[in-house]
Amino acid sequence: MRLIPCFLYLLIIAMHEVIWRDFAGLYFVALNLPAMIVVSVAIYKSETAALWFGFLAGLVMAASQPDKMGLHALFLAILGVAVFHVREKLNLESVYSKLLLIVGAVLVHNIATTIINGTDRFFYLLWSYCLPGAAYTTILAWIFFLFKERKITFQKLKSVF
Amino acid sequence: MNQITSFFPKEWRTLHFTLVVFFSVIFIINVTSINQFVGQSIVKSLYFPFFKLKSLMVEVGTSSTENDILREELVDSKMQISILEEAAKENERMRSILGFEPPAGYTLLPSKVVSVTYGGNRPVSIVINKGIRDTVAIDQAVINQQGLVGRIKEVMNDIAVVQLLTDPSNRVAARISETREMGIVRYKSGVGLVLDNFPIQGSIHEGDVIVSSGLGGVYVAGLMIGTVGKINRPQDEAFCEVELRSAASFSSVEEVFVIRSVHE
Repeated sequence: MRLIPCFLYLLIIAMHEVIWRDFAGLYFVALNLPAMIVVSVAIYKSETAALWFGFLAGLVMAASQPDKMGLHALFLAILGVAVFHVREKLNLESVYSKLLLIVGAVLVHNIATTIINGTDRFFYLLWSYCLPGAAYTTILAWIFFLFKERKITFQKLKSVF
Repeated sequence: MNQITSFFPKEWRTLHFTLVVFFSVIFIINVTSINQFVGQSIVKSLYFPFFKLKSLMVEVGTSSTENDILREELVDSKMQISILEEAAKENERMRSILGFEPPAGYTLLPSKVVSVTYGGNRPVSIVINKGIRDTVAIDQAVINQQGLVGRIKEVMNDIAVVQLLTDPSNRVAARISETREMGIVRYKSGVGLVLDNFPIQGSIHEGDVIVSSGLGGVYVAGLMIGTVGKINRPQDEAFCEVELRSAASFSSVEEVFVIRSVHE
């Protein structure tokens, strides 16, 4: 993985944390862009890239809460490696299998984030935040994959109008 | 990242894991100075531009909201000014009406014009907000502070239709206030109010005041109709052609009075 794309992804995560999180949220449902980017890197790049990118993404994501930076960094690094290994073992040719992987990974990350942040209403947050958040993120990931795999292009979109 | 990972051979995979775990553990142990230094560095380098951008967006949003509020207030103020101006004009009219007295034996019923009907380029009838409930009846004369306006043509429970002098079918028996000579006032298309049936030998001068004569029983005697304008005395004709300047301005009638007999 090259340094510039890596930096750009980190920049996108920072932008998400500062600006998008507020705008992209629907009631309790929040977009988990850091997890989505880490999973995407794990799907398309090497194990080492997924490991280090997950670690850095965790640091950037939790920069505003330094006491939890380590846990977030470690967890996203593990998530990146885990997704990489799942990708290696499964046939991820289809977009839907990638989406399945993303929904699972984001759900696990949402649950982990909820636990790391500490809550006494875990099951409530599981239903109201973790699951809908994973679904919401997967919808965005679906659009991203459609563009990435050229199933939707701007030319096709243009031709519709 | 390739540049980073290319420093290490692939078999050094364990080293990568160890490093990541090692760094993570350092952050988890939360040695305050390190965590804070790293956190602040990330915030200053990666977050800061977006903080600036967000504050700019919030500022623009606030200005836009303020702008909307100010625009709304401006429209509101303009409306208030317009209402006040209207009230001032109405006040002025009412002041002039205050000194206005009805002919002897009659009372005035003040009413407001609610609608105007045009015939060509002039109003020919108006609708007022008084009707049978207010003892308004057909053929009662309607005036304003300037002079005669017309007569009640139709009347309903709460409204009445006033036929204005500008309606060609409306005729008023009139006389010259000074000389007491008589004629009939009517509206002639393209000319305006005219005094008909005025003999060519009659004494009439520009500026003479024309009032209702009271003949015919519809209009009370002495109501101001207008003043004499242009006079034509065609040869070999029995009557003059007299153009009048109407006292009432028909296109700006807003408040009128229905003249009722005290016995009604």
